[in-house]
Amino acid sequence: MAEDFGEGSTAGMDEYETLMATTDVELLKTALRNEKAAPEILQFQAQLVKRAREQIQLMEETVEEFEQSGMDPLTVSLYQMDLDRAQFLLRSYLRVRLQKLEKYMFYIWKNDSLRNRLSEPEKIFVKRCIDDMEKHLEETVLSKLPDNYQSARRQSIISEEDDMVPEPQLDTFVACKSSNRFVSLTLVDSERPLEMERHDVSFVLYKVIKDKIGVDVDLV
Amino acid sequence: MSAGFCFSKENMHGRLACRLVKEFNSGEKGQLNHFNEELLNEVAKECSENFLVLQSLIRKMQEEGLDFQTTRNADHYGALINHLSLIRNKRCLMAYVYNRAEMIQNLAWTVGLRLFELPEEIQEKLSHPEKEYFKKHSLALESYMSKVDLDLNVDMVPPKDPYIKVRVLDDVGEGIVVSDKAANFARHSMHFLKRTDAELYISRGLMEELTG
Repeated sequence: MAEDFGEGSTAGMDEYETLMATTDVELLKTALRNEKAAPEILQFQAQLVKRAREQIQLMEETVEEFEQSGMDPLTVSLYQMDLDRAQFLLRSYLRVRLQKLEKYMFYIWKNDSLRNRLSEPEKIFVKRCIDDMEKHLEETVLSKLPDNYQSARRQSIISEEDDMVPEPQLDTFVACKSSNRFVSLTLVDSERPLEMERHDVSFVLYKVIKDKIGVDVDLV
Repeated sequence: MSAGFCFSKENMHGRLACRLVKEFNSGEKGQLNHFNEELLNEVAKECSENFLVLQSLIRKMQEEGLDFQTTRNADHYGALINHLSLIRNKRCLMAYVYNRAEMIQNLAWTVGLRLFELPEEIQEKLSHPEKEYFKKHSLALESYMSKVDLDLNVDMVPPKDPYIKVRVLDDVGEGIVVSDKAANFARHSMHFLKRTDAELYISRGLMEELTG
């Protein structure tokens, strides 16, 4: 931990850590962690995913080349392991997003700002999910109900808003870690802001930090 | 009662719907029960009955020249009760089907994307529309995967070693090519395979990982 070092080396450590934390693998790991811990869908990291894919492809080519050139199998398998880990991160990231989309398809689709956080293939996926789910509910339940009660989103025609759409619980606590040297958060129920230094972990309401994810804080 | 609802315990509004939801909940975690079409239809029938009573009460008030929006008599509350019972029944029906659909989505991730990949004992618990839903949802997933050109239903656990030792549990058959190497995967034979190749067969119960 940083406390163990003198003033001078703290700055050095910080620099080193900043450098380490900005490799794409680390960024992808952070993106995955944020996505996993956040109750709602976050902005799709298009650039990062693109870079990660390019790097994975490069690694695949390298491994293949090594295999063909009869390189020492141990070295090849080390490269292979590195490749597997990168693949796992990328897959997990895309997967955890899809699973969120499955869970909150109706909610995400009707909310413009959430919908705009999706990649193009994700948008197509949600649209299909909604169609399939609606058809399924229609066939199994809704078609058997009286006329005024056949909406999948509303209880009956007198409902003024969607009152049957599953929504994520935003009023929940998450653990977050400050990613900047100094972060000050304004809490709802306290007059004093919550001040965090780098690496401090706090347990706060998701609503309070949701706009700061990836900027000032990362979820853990 | 003129309001048209009944206090006898057997026919109390919402009782059947409650049974339906409880039935879903009683299954072991992650385990589907048989789709109870009969009970579901009975609840739907109760909804129609609610609706008939509701309509006839409204009609009665109209015939008496009463304004439904403002009059607060027994008929009004009777209609209201039937409306609320109907909504409650609807929510229970939807919860039953929707929660099962969520478990079906989960099957696509954990077991396989094709209906024939699901074990017999799971398949027979699904209704016909649920099987259709499974197929369609799997197609949506597959179409996403082909667009991003990446299989997402492999690599479910963090990789430790790129190779794992497996034992074949079933006659996987010949002609299966794993990472461009064809091998004879006879039952009980053991192999040292790439984890990504083996995962597919492990999730289907055709191979098991040997640890230690």
